Amino acid sequence: MGNKKKITKIILTVVTVTLFLFTLFPFFIVLINSAKSSLEIISDPIAFPDKWSQLFVNIKEIWTSPSIRYASSVYTSAIITILSLITISIFSAMAAWVLVRKKSKMSTFVFLLFISGLIIPFQVVMFPLVALFRMINEAIGLPMLRTFHGMIFAYIGFGAPLAVFMFHGFIKSIPLELEEAALIDGCSKTQIFFLIVMPILKPIFVTISILNAIWIWNDFLLPSLILGIGQEIQTIPLAIAAFAGSFVKKWDLIMTAVLMAAFPIIVGFILGQKHIIKGMVSGSIK
Amino acid sequence: MKRSLALLMVMVLMVAMLAGCAQSVEEDQTVVIYQNKVEIHEQLTAFAALYEAETGVKVTVKTSGGDSPYAESLKAEFQSDRQPDIFVIEGMGGYNTWESKLTPFEGQEWMDLTTLEFVVDGQTYGFPVAVEAWGMAYNSDLLSQAGIDPATLTSQEAYRTAFEKIDSMKDELGIKSAVAMAAGPDMRWVTGLHNFNGYLSAGLPYGDTTVLDKLNNGEADMQRLTEYADWVELLFEYSDRAVLLTGNYDAQVGQFANGESVFIHQGNWIDPWLVSNGIDFPMGFAPHASVKGEHDSIFIGAPSFYVINKDSENADAANAFLNFMATNEAGHNYMVNEAKMVPAFTNVELKPDTPLSANAAEWLAKDAKYTWLQNDMPDGFGMVTIAPIYESYAKGDIDKAEFINQLALKIEELK
Amino acid sequence: MNRHVKDKLVFWLFLAPALISFLVVVVIPFFMGLYYSMTDWTAVADLKANWVGLENYKAMFSSIPFQYSFIRTFLFTLLSVLSINFIALTFAFLVTREIKFKNFYRAGFFIPNLIGGLVLGYIWQFIFKSVVPAIGSLFGINFLEELLLLADPNLTLFGLILAFTWQYAGYIMMIYVAALLNVPQELLEASEIDGANFWQKLWNITVPMIAQAFTITSFLTLVNSFKQYDIIVALTSGGPTTIFKGQTVNSTELLAVHIYNVAFKYNNMAEGQARAIVFFLVLSVVSIGQVYYTKKREVEM
Repeated sequence: MGNKKKITKIILTVVTVTLFLFTLFPFFIVLINSAKSSLEIISDPIAFPDKWSQLFVNIKEIWTSPSIRYASSVYTSAIITILSLITISIFSAMAAWVLVRKKSKMSTFVFLLFISGLIIPFQVVMFPLVALFRMINEAIGLPMLRTFHGMIFAYIGFGAPLAVFMFHGFIKSIPLELEEAALIDGCSKTQIFFLIVMPILKPIFVTISILNAIWIWNDFLLPSLILGIGQEIQTIPLAIAAFAGSFVKKWDLIMTAVLMAAFPIIVGFILGQKHIIKGMVSGSIK
Repeated sequence: MKRSLALLMVMVLMVAMLAGCAQSVEEDQTVVIYQNKVEIHEQLTAFAALYEAETGVKVTVKTSGGDSPYAESLKAEFQSDRQPDIFVIEGMGGYNTWESKLTPFEGQEWMDLTTLEFVVDGQTYGFPVAVEAWGMAYNSDLLSQAGIDPATLTSQEAYRTAFEKIDSMKDELGIKSAVAMAAGPDMRWVTGLHNFNGYLSAGLPYGDTTVLDKLNNGEADMQRLTEYADWVELLFEYSDRAVLLTGNYDAQVGQFANGESVFIHQGNWIDPWLVSNGIDFPMGFAPHASVKGEHDSIFIGAPSFYVINKDSENADAANAFLNFMATNEAGHNYMVNEAKMVPAFTNVELKPDTPLSANAAEWLAKDAKYTWLQNDMPDGFGMVTIAPIYESYAKGDIDKAEFINQLALKIEELK
Repeated sequence: MNRHVKDKLVFWLFLAPALISFLVVVVIPFFMGLYYSMTDWTAVADLKANWVGLENYKAMFSSIPFQYSFIRTFLFTLLSVLSINFIALTFAFLVTREIKFKNFYRAGFFIPNLIGGLVLGYIWQFIFKSVVPAIGSLFGINFLEELLLLADPNLTLFGLILAFTWQYAGYIMMIYVAALLNVPQELLEASEIDGANFWQKLWNITVPMIAQAFTITSFLTLVNSFKQYDIIVALTSGGPTTIFKGQTVNSTELLAVHIYNVAFKYNNMAEGQARAIVFFLVLSVVSIGQVYYTKKREVEM
């Protein structure tokens, strides 16, 4: 019995490690090719680089490239990502809570409206959206395009459906007694939400924030329409796009750029790994 | 108390969201140029800075790159609050799309210095960005090693003989195939636009648009199309399958740069790639024999043009900037030495120092040129409509007869 | 203030920020799009759109590339859902077993999810085009060395599914892990004492417990496969070509890409918009049907 368990364990470990290595193989490819010149990549894409110091040459080239503006782009991406995360989560939680607690035809309708947003493909709305943003500026003089707030506003709109959906599912499972007790104690609805419900929602906040962070950090098509390519405000994916011509693919520098674009979020993930995984696991199912 | 606090918090968040980062940028004092060449973005920006130092007028360079093509980004750009003052069109296809936004140039100095400007109905609408040339570029070393004189390559028959000979000497020359040609999904501009231009203008006098006019009326010249298909067959037959079917720009240029092919079906824009990878073997263009008969020229033209936005409030400043580029020495230096382009202006005395551009300038000087007409086809016809047919043919999904047939069908659909 | 009115006020105040952004960003543009789909709209600003009725919809149904794209999208979606869920479930089983460093592996399986579709497409394009042949020549495997994966329509679809699975399985795994951890340990132990074997335990206890997770995962994988855009654009650009009903079509130009191409490459925004509307309708029917079906199964279990 004990022997059999041991063998099972060894087999499981071997299988896991194999799959693990296979999963990480593409990163390995990116890493070794980041340290090559483009001719070197074409001659042999799986050999180790002639000299690793080329990596720093490439990194320096990306770092100083006036079209990438690495530091400023990372900063822009970070600002947009963080502000969007916070606003999407709080606003969606607020919406989901009242939608769960208030049972009416209207709340069902609004909820279904949000859910329908889950399956509206981005392609359907993108050009009308840009047109609408422009109309807003013409009508009330509030520029939405090429601005931080326009970008974040768009993310709230696109992020709300999933967040509302997830909060909705989670809030349904919170027993009503807690809130009723608070109501009897004389708390207002607003207090109940911010003081009692919000803390319970913490795991789902983590989950949603992680999902949104991954999405927003990597998003390309939406910012390319709202912020535009090659403009003052540019996120990391836009920077990479501005750098990688459609006809000219400098694989060496693209690989390096890929590495540098993924670096902040992977570091973030590794640092917060414990919480993130816990958040994902506890939040994703409820 | 707490309730109002919470409400306040929400309000603050909303206000922060809506107004927090609003900034009024005074960009109307500047000229905005929205262009499509990622490879010259840095050089053009530097030139714009120089221009500002010289004249005090700020010019902002915006560049669309990546995999969303310029034509699409431009449409998005025009939907934004601040439209560019100068943008780029490529031939009649672009003109037809943007007609309502264009205004002709009038009385500009540069207009007398070029023959390559973009003209519709006698009105000059486009400033030629650069002269580009493409065709069958060859590696001189390998070609002489194979005992072939590029001057003899003037007909399809001559090319076939040369390819056969080279093919039989593969090991000796250390090559994978005679030609580096690409017809895969990434390279539709090579087949659907450049290669197809061989059907449109090869062998015809410069500026002759009879074949193009027929095409735009939905009429295919079957005789010419059949001859042209022989040329496509020849190229596909003597190219490396991996590069042909799945290769991207790097793979195609890389094959040539590595000395693994004697010819490459590309243009002088590959120079920066070659230079930055330290390639220095001698090379040049051979005549483009894409239909029957004798040929003595290569394709030379200005494929893209700067145009002025009709609604621009800075049209004068924009005009001044373009004029400066064409007439001032700093502009010439930018075009030739920085951006590595071949200028379309007769007053430029600087000579390009990169191999294919230098060779292209020689062809231009002896006036041995065929017209670029591929950008005058309807928007999307080359890359979207017909390029996939080349890929099917390259893969062997269809034979030559079917290839001709499908091209003819697509042309007829233009009626 | 009347309590009822106050309740209503709270309701709308709480709803307002999310709802307003959602309306402005998604709902209103959606209806604008619906209108545009019945005009001859092009994206060149200031050109007035003229009403053309259902012309754009008619053109769509007779379009051979559209028909082909439709079929391929269904195939891609079906295979992706299967592949992603299978791999994700395998990962989830492995990392909830008694093995060392399981958190480490979990993180590893999840990491590809941090990479955006565009970037990921470039990476895999590079792998399929350059790395696979290089591996072939390293080990002397001629088949791999000469394999032009991205030149064969079926292999390319497989390649897309592989790349998408690589990206998405780690995320779906997390949902399964959560479900598996929810399976009460006591129940498993009790059934073991009752003499249940591994498969019986799996079928009778574990599967019903993850049925709820399956509703979510199949929904997510279905919708995201159907909407796939970034990876395709960067990995295959819609290619390679194949022959369908005697016409050359792009074999991986799945619906989302097809819509984009019709709208922007042909400069026919209105027709693209019409296809987008149909795309949306089909996606809604399929995904709502799926949720309904799996929910029903969930209850039965």
